[in-house]
Formats: sequence, structure tokens, C-alpha cells
Amino acid sequence: MAGRASGAQPHRRPVPLIGWVGAFLVLGFVVLGLIGPSVAPYGSKELAAPRQERPSDRHLLGTNKVGQDLLSQLIVGTRSSLLVAALAAAGAVTIATVVGLAAGLAGGWPDVILMRVADVTIALPRLPLLMLLGAVVGTSLIRVALVIAVVFWPGAARVLRSQVRSLRRRSHVVAARGFGAGPLRVARLHLLPEMSLVVVTVFLSAASRAVLLEAGLAFLGVGDPSRVSWGSIIRDARASPGLFYTTFWTWWILPPVVAIVLVLLGLMFLGMGFETRVNPRLSRDGALHR
Amino acid sequence: MLTVLVFLLPRFLPGDPVGNLVDAGDADPEYVAQARAAAERSLGLDRPLPEQFGRFLNDLAHGNLGFSAGNNQSVGALLRQTVPWTVLLMGTSLVLSSFLSYRIGVAAAWRRGTVGDRAITVGSTLLHAIPDYALAMVFLVLFAVRIRLFPIVGASTPFTQSASGLYKIGDVASHLVLPVAALTLGLMGTKFLLVRNATLGALGQDYMVLARAKGLPERLLKRRHAGRNALLPFLNLVGIQVGIAFGGATFVQTVFGYPGVGPLMVAAVRGADYAVLQGCFLVAAVLVLTANLVVDVVSVGVDPRVGAR
Repeated sequence: MAGRASGAQPHRRPVPLIGWVGAFLVLGFVVLGLIGPSVAPYGSKELAAPRQERPSDRHLLGTNKVGQDLLSQLIVGTRSSLLVAALAAAGAVTIATVVGLAAGLAGGWPDVILMRVADVTIALPRLPLLMLLGAVVGTSLIRVALVIAVVFWPGAARVLRSQVRSLRRRSHVVAARGFGAGPLRVARLHLLPEMSLVVVTVFLSAASRAVLLEAGLAFLGVGDPSRVSWGSIIRDARASPGLFYTTFWTWWILPPVVAIVLVLLGLMFLGMGFETRVNPRLSRDGALHR
Repeated sequence: MLTVLVFLLPRFLPGDPVGNLVDAGDADPEYVAQARAAAERSLGLDRPLPEQFGRFLNDLAHGNLGFSAGNNQSVGALLRQTVPWTVLLMGTSLVLSSFLSYRIGVAAAWRRGTVGDRAITVGSTLLHAIPDYALAMVFLVLFAVRIRLFPIVGASTPFTQSASGLYKIGDVASHLVLPVAALTLGLMGTKFLLVRNATLGALGQDYMVLARAKGLPERLLKRRHAGRNALLPFLNLVGIQVGIAFGGATFVQTVFGYPGVGPLMVAAVRGADYAVLQGCFLVAAVLVLTANLVVDVVSVGVDPRVGAR
């Protein structure tokens, strides 16, 4: 897909170092998410030890209030945190691509209506909308992902729509239409390949916000109480009064927060790597000002 | 449209406010049924949905937001207790973060490539990746637990009704410092990067060269010519950030046990308290839309071209 898109740009630029760092981080977490449950020393809900143990050789990050191994929870939680992010981002990008293509190609009243809907959705405060929707449809993994997608598609849809609008005036697209290609064929053969890099960056930024939000909802205690995720560890820890007067927070709250930050950094760096490909001016400008 | 959304969504919630009100633990089924019916009648939940909606609209027009079964208080009263704190926290943080990020952004663009510029740019990029509640917890541990500089929880010290006015103001202010600091920092990164980039874009323009050739002092160049260029997209971003700031405020308020609309809404979601959910969402939406309106008006003042279109 990248090969197709780079046809439009005469010089293929190497992905900068920061992109590789991001790819490495994200890949690491994806692998951890895949093999997580089989490498975790204990089950995520297994009562493995006396409650509230300090870190030891048997429990590297100690145990929580009911005696569940925190390291295992962290490892197993990776999967649900990443899965929500991937699903939510995929959902948001799919809606955004369809809307962006439809609005950009059709123009006229469909364009106006779709963009109005996007504007209204953007104008609403996100977290309250998310809590409201989450309370309505439920907080299972797939539904949380769906709700996040519904809240986040408009920004991406706008970006993609404006790209479609600029692309459709290019001569090769006009020519294709002149030869009788229908809108679907034009979209598939001429628009989507050129949009793919933008779609990837949009996907990455949606994924990072989904990680943040899933953990945030769990943190606030409005997520699914039975699912183990990074957010749920933070929530459990915060529920113990006086936590910050002890040293327990350093192995209870810090690891999941650090995990979230690392995933976000990974996604962000990866996005930066792609962005210089999408928009070569970015890197050239950077060089110029240096 | 907003009102329909606000009215309908909570009705699909799993669980119901009546169930939380009437404890069905050990009672006789007949007793529970009667108690439920009575509770539903008193809350108006036995009526068909369209009638409920009509009442909701009518009440809304009269400034009546309904009654919270969970808190045994009118929603209006609950909101009156929480909205000022949210506005105080959000307003202070938005203004402070905007002012700071604008000044620092222009300054960084001016001294582009220096160690300071690089450090701040990298720093604000990293800030993107840190959740608001994590920032809040860091501030909590550092400045309230390690160094007992500021109070840990709440918005004011309880039982100080008889204290002097000045003391009360100081008390509220000292409770406000850490939450504002956390939220401000959380809001600064994006704005700083935007201002820096927009200002950089202006630096190479012809009018900058001309202004410099006229011998204008550097300070004037920076303020009037380079910085101005960033103002419009900057204001745009501030408008977008209002909604994000509400979410950030919710996290920060939760960490610091600070009263506000966000925590009230979280509690309402957990308790399936329709009326409170409706009220909170409505208030959040109105707050955000109002702030956006203010930003729009200011934008027209800053750049007449915006109004002309």
C-alpha cells in the first residue's frame, strides 16, 4: 500500500529514526498483548498470594488488595487495552473514510449534511458524551471500542474529505471519470491508494486516544468492572485510601501509567515517521529552520 | 436536537433509578411491586415516553432540571453546588495555559534551534503522551504529600464558615493551585506547538523583512508581526480545547477529590441517575458551546476577515 502511494511522490524518503523507535515500541506491546496470558506468571484474577504484598521474587510488582499478582495483571491487561485501541481506531477510520469519500465525491447537499453532523459531534464535549453513550450501550470491550469510534470519527472524516476534494480535481481522476469510471471505481483505484498514508496516520492518532480513553473510563470507574486492563489496575489502586502516603503506589500505579505513556509515545513516534512521508515539506521545513 | 439526545440516551441505561431507591433485598414481592409503583409515580416514570419528554422540555424551559433520586436533591441544586467549581477550575486553566503557551510559543520560535527551544518542543511533545490524571497524581505526590505545600483534597477547608473573607479566598486559592497546575500543563502542549509553528511560518515572510528594514525594535517585531500571525489558528484551537478541558477537569477533579460537574456525572453513571446525567450533560454541552461562542466573538475582533465570511 505504501508502494502505491509513493508513486505520487518522486523521491521516497527514508522513515526517520523516530519512526523506527515508535514501531519498535508498538510492536513490543502488540507481541506482549498477543502472548500475554501465556507468559504471565499467574492468572490475572488468580488469588496468588496474601493480599497487599510488597514486590518480591515471586511477585515482582507485589500483589493488590485481594492478592492478585500485579505484574500478571499488567501483562494480561495489555491485550484488552490494545484491542480496544485497535478496534476503536479501525472503526473510527472506517466511518471517516466512508463519510470522507461520500462527502468529498458527492458534494452538494450530502456533503453539507455529513459535515454538519461531524461539526455537531465535534462541538459536543467528548468525555461526557462517551460516559453517556458508554452507560447506554454497555462497557464490554467491543462496545467501548464502538463508542470511542462513534465519538472520534468526525475529525478524521474532515481531513479525508478535504483530501478527496483536492484529489478529485487532479487530471488523472478527471480523466478516469471522463472514461466512464463510476465513483466507486474511482474511489478504489485512484483515491484510496493516495489516501492510504493519511489513513494510517489518522488510525495511529485515533488508536492513541483510544488507549487513553479506555484507561480513563476504567480509571473513573465507569468501565467494565470485571475486565482487567491498565485502567482497572489504576482504579483499584486509587480506591485504597491514603495510597500516596505509602510507597505502595510506586509499584501499583506507576507501572500501568508508564505502560500507557510508552504505548502513546510509540504510536506518536510512528505517526511522526509516517507524517514526514505523507508531507515531505514537514521534514524539509524542519531542516531549513535548524 | 441536543435536548432530544440528552433526554433519550439515559433512558436506555441498564439498571434503573427506582431499583436503587427501593431496596428489594428481603422484602415481600407484593411490597416491592407497590413500592416500585409509588416511586415511579413520584418520579413521573410511569408515564409514556413522549409525555415524559414533554414534561422534560416544559421543566427545562422553567429552569427545572428534575429531581435526583440518588442524592435526594433537585438536580438544579446539585448543579448549583458543582458548576461554579468546574467553571473556576476550567476557566483558570484555560486562560492561564493559553497565555503561557502563546508567550512561550512565540519566544521559542524567535529563538528557534536554541537549547531552550528544543527542550520545550520535545517536552510538549512528550506531554501529549501523559494522561491528565497521571499529571495530577504526580503533582499530588510531589506538592501535597512529599512537600506539604498545598492541601490534598477538596476545594475548601470544611467548618470555616466563621472565618474572615480574606482567609476564605486564600483557602479556596490554595486548594485550587494543584488542580489548575495539572490541568494547565495538560492543555499547554498542543497550543505551544501550534503557536511555535505558526510563528515560524511568519518569520520568513516579506513583511517581516520590511518591518526589520524599517528598524522597528525587536520586541515590536515579535509581538505585532510574528506573533499576530499565530493568533487566529491559536484561538481556533482554544475553542476546540474547551471540550477537552472539561474531560481533563473531570480526571483532575477525581484525583483531587475536587467538586465539579464531571465527578457528579461519574457518580450519576454508576447510580443510573437519569435526571443528574441529563443535567450534567446539558451543562457540559452548554458550557462548551458558550466558551466556543466567546472564542468566535474574540476571533472576529482579532481578524475582521472571519466575520466577513
